[in-house]
Amino acid sequence: MSKTVKTIPVLMDCDPGHDDAIALVMAHRSPVIDLLGVTTVCGNAPPERTTSNALRIMQFIDATDVPVAQGCVTPLARPLVLGTADGPTGLDGTTYLPEATMPLVPMHGVDFIAKILREAPEPVVLVPTGPLTNIAMFLLKYPELKHKIDKIVLMGGAFYRRTEYITPTEFNIFCDPEAARIVLDSGLDIIMVGLDVTMHVLVEEEQFAELRKIESPLGKVVLDWLKFYEKLHRGQMGVGGALHDPLALAVVIDPTLIETREAHVEIDLTGTYTFGATVADFWNERKLGNNTRIATRVDSGRFFELMYSLLRD
Amino acid sequence: MERIILDVDSAGDDILAILFSAGCADIKLEGVTTVAGAAGGIEQVTNVVLNTLTLAGRNDIPVAAGAYRPIVGNAKADMEAPVHFEKQLQARFGDRLQGFNPPAPEPACKAMGKHAIDFIVDTVRANPGEVSIVATGPQTNVALALQMAPDIARLVKQIVVLGGCFQTPGNMTPVSEYNIWADPEAARVVLRSGAPVILVPLDVCEDNRVAASMLTRDDLNDLASLYPASKAVSYVCETFPIYIDIWREFFELVGFPLDDAIAVVAVLHPEFFEMTEPLFVDVALSERLVRGQTVAFQGRQILPFSGPKTTRVCRNLDGRKFLSLFKNSIGSLS
Repeated sequence: MSKTVKTIPVLMDCDPGHDDAIALVMAHRSPVIDLLGVTTVCGNAPPERTTSNALRIMQFIDATDVPVAQGCVTPLARPLVLGTADGPTGLDGTTYLPEATMPLVPMHGVDFIAKILREAPEPVVLVPTGPLTNIAMFLLKYPELKHKIDKIVLMGGAFYRRTEYITPTEFNIFCDPEAARIVLDSGLDIIMVGLDVTMHVLVEEEQFAELRKIESPLGKVVLDWLKFYEKLHRGQMGVGGALHDPLALAVVIDPTLIETREAHVEIDLTGTYTFGATVADFWNERKLGNNTRIATRVDSGRFFELMYSLLRD
Repeated sequence: MERIILDVDSAGDDILAILFSAGCADIKLEGVTTVAGAAGGIEQVTNVVLNTLTLAGRNDIPVAAGAYRPIVGNAKADMEAPVHFEKQLQARFGDRLQGFNPPAPEPACKAMGKHAIDFIVDTVRANPGEVSIVATGPQTNVALALQMAPDIARLVKQIVVLGGCFQTPGNMTPVSEYNIWADPEAARVVLRSGAPVILVPLDVCEDNRVAASMLTRDDLNDLASLYPASKAVSYVCETFPIYIDIWREFFELVGFPLDDAIAVVAVLHPEFFEMTEPLFVDVALSERLVRGQTVAFQGRQILPFSGPKTTRVCRNLDGRKFLSLFKNSIGSLS
């Protein structure tokens, strides 16, 4: 990646989570991203865990200059259903990161997003890699700052286009479907990096071999996280660990990693078997106009190259 | 003395609730927060509140603007249905309708620079166990405050929710009342928050069973002759005949129902009401037909449902006592 590329101001909203953790590491190490702040949300783990995980990660990678604020502790309008992809602590593995000593921003995450955006000279890219609760709450509470969002590159959704699922339901959307609906209603430029592409960036034997070559302490921790994550995924879905959140972050750095297709996406809020499903109208049959771009294909080889390069010293 | 935050959507009865609260000697109105709802967008709602407080000579009371949209809401056409209803009224009442929910003139003072959510959270946290929230519009602000600061459920004295219906037919669907229907997800958050709630449904406001609580032309005549010097009273006497006529003709009620003021009185004089024991009350979120229906768990059911038993539902009201207090309080305004 050329250093001459203009720096992109980014705010990450996450629920770490192994894959969120790697996305945070990549964001901090990328020369083209100016990581303005991190907000946490509940999802993969309870809010106190995702927040403590975010702080531990940032401290471990010497990113204590990046402020971390805790956001919403439940989804907008319903009780929290925890994710199962990361173990009970959200960051299970054999290497435990030390307890963080860096302070949390003494402000609600939603208000912190507003502060960052208000102070930013240029519009900021939001990268939500958990449920969309904080982003939706921000949009409800601070409509006057919407113009300070350049675009939203989110990890979420499933559209049946290249892989098969029981229903087109993905956890981040399912966990807070009302929030997802508010974000999609916003009229902002939104890229949905969903299971259609993230299930094609899998950590398997080949990737482990590359990761083992990174001999830094960071490389070892990432390898350890991914071993746990891969094993859990294989047990649950029969495939390797999907790097959902790192892909969303990578798309901010290099939008050419994916192909997208515009559509109007609605969230099913009442379905019995399809609750939380992302329903895409690709043919504009409902005449509602497009509200998002959906990632439909990914160049996984180039994604992994980018990831390895950011994890290497 | 009851300390109250009034959260309103500035329909006609909200205006009367603000005047009532500002005039009532037993109420300390901590602030008025606004939410988009029956009277239109958040700016209109906020301006109406500011103008009403100016009329009451109470611009010392802080006003904080709140949510400009519901959490999910409803289909656009359904959300706009009340506007079409107003057009229908226009055909019947012609020019007289100009006094019904008119665009607010530019207010003489401003809302505070704080969001309603923050005003609610800060005020409740600063005064644990002291402050009641009376929410007479869609429950959006209260729900978002509870979402961002779940601890206020323990700190608030009580939340009065104006909305829902049980025996009395609803006004949006046969089972759904506007405030709950307009943001059912928000109402559900409030009813499940664990905070003590008093639910004031249509049954004790917009039903001729409680006819004695409704404002009639006789009441306006009483007010005018008892308080000839009060500006607030002359405003009410000029503005509300049209409301009385609409509610008599279209809703077949004996007068204009004072829902929002009734909700305030639930804090002040719970003894004016017949209320249930604390129940679990839920809201249907599902399809159009029953969206926003309030369901109170009473009796015994075979299927298990669970939620906090924190909501007392008002079943009846001593309308005469209420109306007399209402008139005295309005009359005390200059």
